[in-house]
Amino acid sequence: MIKAGAKARGQQSSKPCPSTFRPDLYPDAHWSAYNLLIMSAIKIRGLKKSYRVYRKKEGLLASITGLFQRDYREVDAVKGIDLDVEQGEFVAFLGPNGAGKTTTLKLLSGVISPTGGAASVLGHTPWLRENEYRRRFALVMGQKNQLWWDLPAQESFRLHQKIYRIDSSEFQRTRDELVDLLEVGQLLGQPVRELSLGERMKMELTAALLHSPDVLFLDEPTIGLDVIAQHNIQKFLKHYQAMRKITILLTSHYMKDVAALCRRVVIIAHGEIVYDGSLAGIVDRFSSHKVLTLHFAEERMPSDLARYGEVLEIVEPKAKLRVDRSSIAKVLSSVLANHAVEDVSVEDPPLEEVIADMFALTAKNQADKVAAESLTPSP
Amino acid sequence: MHHPSYLGVFLTFARNSLIRDMTFRANFLIEGISSVSWMIMNLGFYTLVYRFTPSIADWDKYEFFVFISTTMFVNSLVQAFFMPNAQELSELVRTGGLDFALLKPIDTQFLVSLQRVNWASLGNFFVALLLLAYAVPRIEGFELSPWHFLLYPLYIVLGVFILYSVMIALAATSIWLGRNQSLYDFWFYITNFSRYPMEIYEGTWGTPLRQLFTFVVPILVVINVPARIMAKPLVSDQVFLASFAMLATAISLLGSRWVFKQALLSYRSASS
Amino acid sequence: MVARALTWWTILKISLEERLVYRGDFALGTLMRFLPIVTQIFLWTAVFAASESGTIVGYSRNDIVAYYLLTMLARAFSSMPGLASGIARQVRDGEIKKFLIQPIDLISYLLLARIAHKLVYYLVAAGPFALVYYLCRSYFPGWPATDVFAAFLLSLVLSFMLGFFLEASMGMIAFWFLEVTSLLFVYMLFTFFFSGHMFPLDMLPDFWLTLVDYMPFKYLAYFPAAVFLGKIEGEALYQGLLIQTAWVVFFIVSCRLLMQAGFNRYSGFGG
Ligand SMILES: Nc1ncnc2c1ncn2[C@@H]1O[C@H](COP(=O)(O)OP(=O)(O)OP(=O)(O)O)[C@@H](O)[C@H]1O
Ligand SMILES: [Mg+2]
Repeated sequence: MIKAGAKARGQQSSKPCPSTFRPDLYPDAHWSAYNLLIMSAIKIRGLKKSYRVYRKKEGLLASITGLFQRDYREVDAVKGIDLDVEQGEFVAFLGPNGAGKTTTLKLLSGVISPTGGAASVLGHTPWLRENEYRRRFALVMGQKNQLWWDLPAQESFRLHQKIYRIDSSEFQRTRDELVDLLEVGQLLGQPVRELSLGERMKMELTAALLHSPDVLFLDEPTIGLDVIAQHNIQKFLKHYQAMRKITILLTSHYMKDVAALCRRVVIIAHGEIVYDGSLAGIVDRFSSHKVLTLHFAEERMPSDLARYGEVLEIVEPKAKLRVDRSSIAKVLSSVLANHAVEDVSVEDPPLEEVIADMFALTAKNQADKVAAESLTPSP
Repeated sequence: MHHPSYLGVFLTFARNSLIRDMTFRANFLIEGISSVSWMIMNLGFYTLVYRFTPSIADWDKYEFFVFISTTMFVNSLVQAFFMPNAQELSELVRTGGLDFALLKPIDTQFLVSLQRVNWASLGNFFVALLLLAYAVPRIEGFELSPWHFLLYPLYIVLGVFILYSVMIALAATSIWLGRNQSLYDFWFYITNFSRYPMEIYEGTWGTPLRQLFTFVVPILVVINVPARIMAKPLVSDQVFLASFAMLATAISLLGSRWVFKQALLSYRSASS
Repeated sequence: MVARALTWWTILKISLEERLVYRGDFALGTLMRFLPIVTQIFLWTAVFAASESGTIVGYSRNDIVAYYLLTMLARAFSSMPGLASGIARQVRDGEIKKFLIQPIDLISYLLLARIAHKLVYYLVAAGPFALVYYLCRSYFPGWPATDVFAAFLLSLVLSFMLGFFLEASMGMIAFWFLEVTSLLFVYMLFTFFFSGHMFPLDMLPDFWLTLVDYMPFKYLAYFPAAVFLGKIEGEALYQGLLIQTAWVVFFIVSCRLLMQAGFNRYSGFGG
């Protein structure tokens, strides 16, 4: 088991407050008192990154002229975002493909430099790439691996030990703990190229956590894994985060990951933050309707259900309706007045659906914006 | 807190590379044999040339063999320690693998320059030793002195550093250009100049060329200085070149470090 | 027939485009290729300065320089970088399967891709080549007679074909031994040394000279260059061209036979 006090650096383990505390989620708390105690782990202000991409032209002739001149355009991957993350928070970073999630994580880990704005993680500016900073965080990318491909994972771990200068006894203890938790002990001696995707991911996680980072960036750590492996990794992350109280920023396209792990969700689309709050809040904010389930006592179902809302499904004696959020009270009272109803439930639509709708909506807005821009004649 | 132990990290790199090489033993052997036979062919060529001439630019046969073994020493060291890494660097840039190197709390240039050790290339090192032992006693009027033992290895190491600087600066350009397949070619052609006694660069074109590759891109001193120390009498007119080689090494190392750092600033990672 | 020609044309075009994408590599690569010539000039100048006689095995210093320049040209035709190793890789990865399934002939496909590769190379390299040859014109003994020049051109084309089919045959061996790197390396060493790329083959002692006569390698570089310089004349010239042609035919046949046998073996595996 991981002991919270096992860390070399004392300042995190002696943290006095619940790690996932957020004043805006608990409006009644005396948050100003907490504010004095909690340091912001991550502070981002107006962070921007644009890439210059070169266009390859079609056709043979164009390729030849391409020898001498090239076209390029700017891609704004991140368009000025602001974000604060407290120490010990577990934040999910959601967004459609190409939204700028990976770019943000790369900026925060100092792999690339921004084109504008500022960020501070644990008091360091990431892209200065100071060793003191680099010793305190880790980045895991589900699509890439950093372990030596042809060597057993334990050799890569030993290299990490040397690079991070972890002393032997602590290294051994941390490694054994992680390996136990992830149940990969018997695979340590096997060349990484012979491991399955899930096993490899576990090894990647182990490698990343060997130096007990205070901040962990996870970019789609469960990509391509089966349900069981995903679940294992979730379980591990949850446990590890609860024990160590480290700050984690996670991107994922699997809502299960998010629901299991994070109370706070940040949604980014087209390089801008469009939502920051609780998972449940997404539904309030982005879903315009609720799902009303009616269990009728009558022999025969009423045939004119459509007048209350969109009928989703009917399995006698039950019916599911999609009802506008604003008219739910009115609909409910009129249903109850007109029919004999045994049971009623009002639910939010499934999260995946809401998020999918929202992504589609932002994509459409973006497309409209681009279309509008291209209509206005450029000087 | 404390600096990472660079020696410890390097030894781990060397160890891991050896483990890896040993899992692909056949490959390892082939590589060793091939680089050795390449040099033997080179030797064959010069043996052939010396059938028709007593000397080349005042280097007689055995002196020239010392020159060749110096080339082999320097090249085998460069190929063992730096070449695979420089080639890997453009691959790391292309795949975005450099991301991970940038995360580590250790000097990035150190990390990407020494990650892999190509043990097979050290085969030539031993062939060079044999050749040196064969050629040196056959040089007319050669007298072994302690200076040889001190200066020859020292200048070989300095030469390796100069070549490393050129190589890493070249490799760093792949961060700018995105991909740089001709890196190896470029490297080969540039260092090609260093493999000949500098005296052959004479005349209207030769003299400026010699000066260019001595004073601007100091690759001519890489092999010439140690080879002369070993093969030619130790006389005072070598002192200038030898001191210059020291300076050139320092400047090359600093210069290449600057280029590397500049290149890293514009690193853009790979998408996804 | 037309459809078939169209397919080949498309393949050729795609290969051309693929090659043109990496323009930086191209420009650099072509430029660099001439640098070794510079050192060779200086080296041989030093050699001739020290040797008593003005010629070595019948070559003056200028002849030697011209010889190197000409072998560069010959190698531009006959060298096939990545051909054999590419075939070996395709066999290893199983990519070669697509030639069993699709109605495309592997060798013709490779030949076209290679022609595209070469065409682009000549396109980019023509400038530098012309420039270097112009700058070095004083090293050449002057234009050869028309028939000698024609023979030279013919030998260049033949050297392209010899290079292609010889190396393709080497690649086909991958059907039997998956790890052909060592073999390819031996091949590379042999061609470099015995093609005459490194020095005029006439410099070799008698024993080696006879050996070289029995190998195909000298037709990849030495032969065209020697023809241009008038080192091979009359009867010997026709004989040489004939032998070169014979080698080309030999490797066309062996390449195809190896491919057939390889495919049979491959599908026998069910791989
Ligand atoms: N190295 C790069 N060069 C050029 N463009 C890039 C680069 N990296 C990212 N981009 C562009 O920036 C945008 C944001 O990419 P990013 O990888 O951050 O998206 P993401 O949110 O992680 O998406 P996904 O969910 O697909 O992983 C994309 O349009 C992408 O094409
Ligand atoms: Mg991403």
